[in-house]
Amino acid sequence: MNALEIKNVSKSFSGFCLDNVSLTLPSGCIMGLIGENGAGKSTTIKLILDMLHKDSGSITILGNENGKNISLIKEDIGVVMDEVGIPECLTAKQVGKVMKHTFRNWNEAEYTRLLQKLSLPDNKPFKDFSRGMKMKLGITVAMSHGAKLLLLDEPTNGLDPVVRDEVIEMFYEFTRDENHSILISSHIVSDLERLCDYVAFLHKGKLLLCEEKDVLLSEYGIIHCTVEQLSELDKNMIKYRKNTPYGAEVIVPRKNAPNGFKLSPISIEELFVFMVKEAR
Amino acid sequence: MKGLLLKDLYMMKKYCKSYLLITVLFIALSFASNENLFFVFYPCLLCGMIPVNLLGYDERSRWLQYSETMPYTKGQIVSGKYWIGLGTQVAVLLVTGFAQAIRMNISGAFALRKYLVLMMLLLVMSLLASSITLPFMFKLGVEKGRMAYYIMIGIVCAGSIIASNLLSGGIQAEIKLNGILPIICLVGIGIYVLSWYLSIVFYKKREI
Repeated sequence: MNALEIKNVSKSFSGFCLDNVSLTLPSGCIMGLIGENGAGKSTTIKLILDMLHKDSGSITILGNENGKNISLIKEDIGVVMDEVGIPECLTAKQVGKVMKHTFRNWNEAEYTRLLQKLSLPDNKPFKDFSRGMKMKLGITVAMSHGAKLLLLDEPTNGLDPVVRDEVIEMFYEFTRDENHSILISSHIVSDLERLCDYVAFLHKGKLLLCEEKDVLLSEYGIIHCTVEQLSELDKNMIKYRKNTPYGAEVIVPRKNAPNGFKLSPISIEELFVFMVKEAR
Repeated sequence: MKGLLLKDLYMMKKYCKSYLLITVLFIALSFASNENLFFVFYPCLLCGMIPVNLLGYDERSRWLQYSETMPYTKGQIVSGKYWIGLGTQVAVLLVTGFAQAIRMNISGAFALRKYLVLMMLLLVMSLLASSITLPFMFKLGVEKGRMAYYIMIGIVCAGSIIASNLLSGGIQAEIKLNGILPIICLVGIGIYVLSWYLSIVFYKKREI
């Protein structure tokens, strides 16, 4: 079963349009939603949760259409938004009590375990938390009610590298269960490159690509060359190109790689930057 | 729903201590100034605004957005505020009512009919406070909805002057009031129910 299926979803605002987005997240997998600020990542997550009403298309979460019984479906979804919306005066202990009366499958022992693991104080008001601590509390809540799908909007934003590593490890641990899946958005592509099985590139509301990460990495390579060398290359072979102060960089399919050029492995970040610049 | 109410109770414990203090202070002042209804009405009006203030805190902390990621319907999110409003208004009404009964007895001016009229007016006033404001807040957000707050203050101030005149007026006014008071009471409750319904309708359409 797929954890998430988005088909031809569109949503228009004044000045922005999410245009005909389709993507599928299989169960047990992690998908990274990569895009610049304002690309439509948060809009996509809000549409999944029915916080925004789509203009067209369909969204299926864990086998259920999101328009019907969405509040029931949300029992199985853990969400971390870019700003964790916990009231400032609440302590982690009080948050635990509120969530106990919110989620049917609230696991108090797991919540306490995660608070301790992430060194979060249980009697300090939320307003006194650092940005990293706030995010960690949001993640702890999302992972303490037996969710099968995590929707994470920029969860590693503002975290220091050590905490980011800890959090990413937690996400790995979460998907050890094959029924668990994660859709995570970020513009910190290096985090997603480490974590994800699938990547989707969003740019100005359009889905540029949605593919298995390993397929992308094995399919394409990058050639660093001079402008003269570039002119020798078959133009049909070039998928994306970028001029640099030292010449040019081109992305080509590995199977058609030209002889006489050194083909380097490409990173997801490089591929994303190339595609966005091309789209501009 | 229980989670939403518990969260609001925690917030009230933190942010609404001053309301309790003002209520006690105004009750004390109402003992000192015998017939001035402002001191009686004001705590009810003020406590009627508790759900509005809680909504302001929710919006500032982005709780409204966060709560929509949880298994709550928009109707439950709205209803939470109305239940909290009802709870605090009934509590303040009971405290104020009890205090006014004592005051009237001490001054030797206790008349059951007059007392019931006062209680009914208090109920209507306190219900009106949040009834007028909350739908605008749920539709437009707290910042834009503040205009409704000012309109409501105007209406309630005018209402308390009229009520004050009616209560201290002659027998003729009392006879008239006896007839229309149950209707005023029903209209007050009706407005509260209508406001509740409208807030749900508005909030369901609002995208945050």
